[in-house]
Amino acid sequence: MTGYSHKIRFVLDGKILEVDFNDGRYSPALTVLNYLRSLPNHRGVKEGCGVGDCGACTVVLGELAGDDSISYKAVNSCLLYLPMLQGKQLITVENVAGEHELHPVQQAMLEENASQCGYCTPGIVMSMFALYKNHHQPSLKAASDALTGNLCRCTGYQPILDAAMKACTNNGIDHFSASEADTVQLLKQIRSDDPPGIEGVTSYFRPSSLEAALDLKTRFQNAIFIDGATDIAFQLAGQPEYLIDLSGISDLKTFSKDEQYLYFGAGLTIEEVRAHTEDHLPAISKILEVFGSLQIRNRATLGGNICSASPISDVLPVLFSSEATVELLSKKGKRELAVEKFIKSYRETRINPDEILTGVRIPVRGENTISWSSKVSNRQDLDIATVNAGFRFIMGQDELVSQAILAFGGLAATTKRAIKTENFLVNKKLDEKTIRQASEILYHEFEPISDVRSDSASRRILARNLLLKCYIEYLNPNF
Amino acid sequence: MQQRHSIQYKSDTDPVHESALRHITGEAVYINDIPVNDQMLHGFILTSTIACGKIISMDVEKAKMLDGVHAILSYKDIPGINQMGPVADDELCLAEKDVDFIGKAILLIAAETTEIALKASRLIDIEYERSEPVLVLEDAIRKGLLIIPPIEISTGDADKALSTSKHTLKGELRTGAQEHWYLETQTCLAIPGEDDEMGIFSSTQHPSETQAIISRILKIPKNNISVEVRRIGGAFGGKETQANHFAAWAALLAHHTKKPVKIHMNRIDDQKITGKRHRSINNYEVGFSDDGTLTALKVAINLDAGSSTDLSRAILQRAVFHIDNCYFIPNLKVNGQAWKTNHPSNTAFRGFGAPQAMAVIEQIIDKVARYLSKDPLEVRFQNFYRLSTNNITHYGQIIENNRLIVLYEQLVKSSAYVERRKSINEFNKAGLHYKKGLALTPVKFGVSFTASFLNQAGALVNIYTDGTVLVSHGGIEMGQGLHTKIMQVAASELGIGREYIKVDPTNTSKVPNTSATAASSGSDLNGMAVKNAVEKLKKRLAEVFVNEYNEKKSGELSVIEDIRFSGNFVSDNEHPERKISFEKLVKKSYKKRVSLSATGFYKTPGIYYDRTSSKGNPFHYYAFGMAVSEVLLDTLTGQFSILRTDILHDAGNSINKNIDKGQLSGGFIQGVGWCTTEEIKWDENGHLLNHSPDTYKIPTIRDIPEDFRISFLQNVPNPNTIKKSKAIGEPPFMLSFSVWLAIKDAISAVGDHRFEPEFSLPATKELILKSIEDIRKKMTA
Repeated sequence: MTGYSHKIRFVLDGKILEVDFNDGRYSPALTVLNYLRSLPNHRGVKEGCGVGDCGACTVVLGELAGDDSISYKAVNSCLLYLPMLQGKQLITVENVAGEHELHPVQQAMLEENASQCGYCTPGIVMSMFALYKNHHQPSLKAASDALTGNLCRCTGYQPILDAAMKACTNNGIDHFSASEADTVQLLKQIRSDDPPGIEGVTSYFRPSSLEAALDLKTRFQNAIFIDGATDIAFQLAGQPEYLIDLSGISDLKTFSKDEQYLYFGAGLTIEEVRAHTEDHLPAISKILEVFGSLQIRNRATLGGNICSASPISDVLPVLFSSEATVELLSKKGKRELAVEKFIKSYRETRINPDEILTGVRIPVRGENTISWSSKVSNRQDLDIATVNAGFRFIMGQDELVSQAILAFGGLAATTKRAIKTENFLVNKKLDEKTIRQASEILYHEFEPISDVRSDSASRRILARNLLLKCYIEYLNPNF
Repeated sequence: MQQRHSIQYKSDTDPVHESALRHITGEAVYINDIPVNDQMLHGFILTSTIACGKIISMDVEKAKMLDGVHAILSYKDIPGINQMGPVADDELCLAEKDVDFIGKAILLIAAETTEIALKASRLIDIEYERSEPVLVLEDAIRKGLLIIPPIEISTGDADKALSTSKHTLKGELRTGAQEHWYLETQTCLAIPGEDDEMGIFSSTQHPSETQAIISRILKIPKNNISVEVRRIGGAFGGKETQANHFAAWAALLAHHTKKPVKIHMNRIDDQKITGKRHRSINNYEVGFSDDGTLTALKVAINLDAGSSTDLSRAILQRAVFHIDNCYFIPNLKVNGQAWKTNHPSNTAFRGFGAPQAMAVIEQIIDKVARYLSKDPLEVRFQNFYRLSTNNITHYGQIIENNRLIVLYEQLVKSSAYVERRKSINEFNKAGLHYKKGLALTPVKFGVSFTASFLNQAGALVNIYTDGTVLVSHGGIEMGQGLHTKIMQVAASELGIGREYIKVDPTNTSKVPNTSATAASSGSDLNGMAVKNAVEKLKKRLAEVFVNEYNEKKSGELSVIEDIRFSGNFVSDNEHPERKISFEKLVKKSYKKRVSLSATGFYKTPGIYYDRTSSKGNPFHYYAFGMAVSEVLLDTLTGQFSILRTDILHDAGNSINKNIDKGQLSGGFIQGVGWCTTEEIKWDENGHLLNHSPDTYKIPTIRDIPEDFRISFLQNVPNPNTIKKSKAIGEPPFMLSFSVWLAIKDAISAVGDHRFEPEFSLPATKELILKSIEDIRKKMTA
């Protein structure tokens, strides 16, 4: 197709590498993990689970950040399609050591006895390498956050954490810094390549503009929009017909704020959203801290999570409670819809087949607003919520509640508000008695399911307790 | 997490893992990384989709026609015996008429790619006639489905003592299954050679058994089958018997296609079709006096064996041996039973039955303490085995070199248990929705295979004329650092640097008839076997040395007993000027036509067990350890964090403290997983619900103690073991009970320790929430 290329180019082992999909050797639905393992010299990358939950396949992607530097991000190569490498630098465990000496993270791993069976180790080295490049003397929280996505069954992690703390003390300086200017030049050479557009059993396109994306969608109506593809890559292990990758569209990556709204492009990664909300919307950033792992958050996008319409989405409850709206674009124009309205039913939204979700608008609220969120899962990190919640109270005159929104995930087929409890709370003072009464109403408001993560009874208890917890922690810490 | 103390001990002299450099550079080769020629086929296992029933018909014709499919095999294609059980012949390699669990192998497919194999599998129709499966352990018990005869051990008169005890308590404890979650899934590469030869590269803990099972199935003598293992990516018991299955299937496909065949399981299928730690239901009645002294105990241990025997007999045996943990109970009757259910056969897993039993007695002690309003610490101390009295187990073994009291005294002090108990009580009284819990739990673990004949090992040591040494032994390197310890043993015995020593991949052609690397015995057994081989070689070299000097020199003769191997030299202790480099002596020996290759052998002395009287000395020695953990529990969400863990462990004279420290922290955290987040559920048809890391949650780096302090007991050489060391693989697993019971302590604090919390294992958030809910109801009642 004109304007697209059936070839991709990326940097690996210090060189520009070209893959031509027309020669039939590779499908665009091939994961980078399986691509690497098909090469003779990159079998250090390991498959531990194939579903993004263990990190053994972690690699680092280098991308141009501005005109003269590179950003480094750890990602799961089992959830990355090969053409997604277009224009990027792919760094694997084989690249980490310098010509004559180990990388500081490897040296620290060695000194701290941080490997036992060794199978998870290449992935750990890669996550730690990304940490090294992005943090100087990281806090324990930052270091463990960078490694939460890497399961190890042998060491008990302590030596790994010790190695991370020991290694990351040199402002990210290493042999990659020494050759960064050269790599920047290589990446610039491939920066303006035609975007990949590969036709075959599985067709893959990465349009550069919203208009082009809409054109493609008109042409291939059953195409699936992807961006980070973290949710879909393993579900579609078979042969998806058409994939339209929106990650090349810069319009989807904008963030802006004014006095009334915060605007998030749908293509912002969860990690980017987390960083943007840290100061303005702590209820959102708090829940995003326990969203998947850093590898997942580096790829998964805000738009993708909303459109998945999962009943246990970590994003939706806080978007419900902050009365966010989604912005939808089609050739006919734009429309805006409350997130709550946008979610139609279990894993279904009200998006039209010819539309793209382009952004999310969150109204800025005044000081009389209390926002709170929480996620309870069986394991603290890298786990799916048993129940999650986004609450917001707008206080009116005489300390009475003028509006309450209690949105929950994990209690119904979709993210859902506890309308009865909300109504009860309106025009009441938020004191212990009210909260106790409200929590009892809440306890009976849902008929949650029993599944592998929890039974119905515990979910009810959690729903009730989260309201109590919000009251205690936010409203009355002395309770 | 704010302040964090790092593990205190770090040895600068002990070497790091011999493969560490290869691990961190990605150069370490696992089976799936071995380059094979382009003839290689991928094996796929088609398994039963029902838990119990008959196969009515199979249609494989469409699948056979598929391009790229080279073989589709059923049990009819097995040239030898269709059995792959390690102990009992009750496990078919491929199903014949019946299937007895979801995941039972029925057909094998060999195809050019895994995608083709998968496609072929979807073209195969199998029609079943379903029958009612037994999926719940209680149902198996009710129906009397014993899979092996019960094992009972009795000492004193428990019934009588119970009737005369001042206090008695009854109860039940359930413990859950656990998935091994080795990072490297089950993998085998089978390469057919000339005639009947079969080369096997398997991720197995037990190559000799892998060889034996392939030999039976293919009807090929063992001397045609070589099984090689360089390293495996984690095992924890999950590859002790069940790696055999994948090897047998790959070998069968390779045998038929005459091409190399690799089976590399994807995670989800691996989790679905392999066995787990036995879940258990345990019922007990305990008698005790006012001061908490246990006077009598009756326990029934019920294990879910799954669909076949596998290692359940030995696992049950170890469970009944470990019901006492560290406590002297004069009147004790333990009855162990293992039951058949329609699940994949449960199998070895770090601790091997001991964790289930030890959890029972620890729960009992905890309960007795709450009943008597005492700190469980006191009741534990009160009942510990003592040095010269109260020191005989229920199976009659005297506990020698008992370290319990010294561990207790040192750890209570170093962990500031008493002071922290006080401040925790104050914290808990403040009425917050957070509660803290604290617990000390001890471990006594018997070291040896309980089937005495397995306690043997072999080695082969070759010295080459350049002075380098190649060591082969029967043990498997699965991350635990066995090869590193073996290198250290060989180097120090030969008096040469470790750089001259290489440990060869384990191979049945080098060292035959080996035991599994299991029961924490890897370095105990193989270290001694290597030492034995090295001693033979040293004797030969010393003879050459002595002859050399005695022939040439005048004066006093050198004698073999005085010859020392040290610092890459060989010398005469009495005549230090008589000194020659190791390499030169090796070259001389070669020219003198002296054999530079020797085998070594070891069998653990003094162990025996009489099954009829249930008495004996099944263990060579005991490993001891103790842990104190403190948790912070959010009583509204059930979420908790481990604030601090102190471990004091007896590793004898550790051969390698770095490696032993890794086993301690790793075993402990794996235990924490079993005790907390690792829950396994099945649906009503027998489908495993937690079949991927999406739903099965092993600990992450955020789940470890915020303050983790590990120390070893000092100056405690273990007599009669290699380098006076102790086994370290399994014992630390059970130290995690300190976390489990600290959680219980925190729950108990909700009701000011007045009510016994509902509790079982794992303590999932769901269980914690319900237990708290229950206490709150009792409080308002």
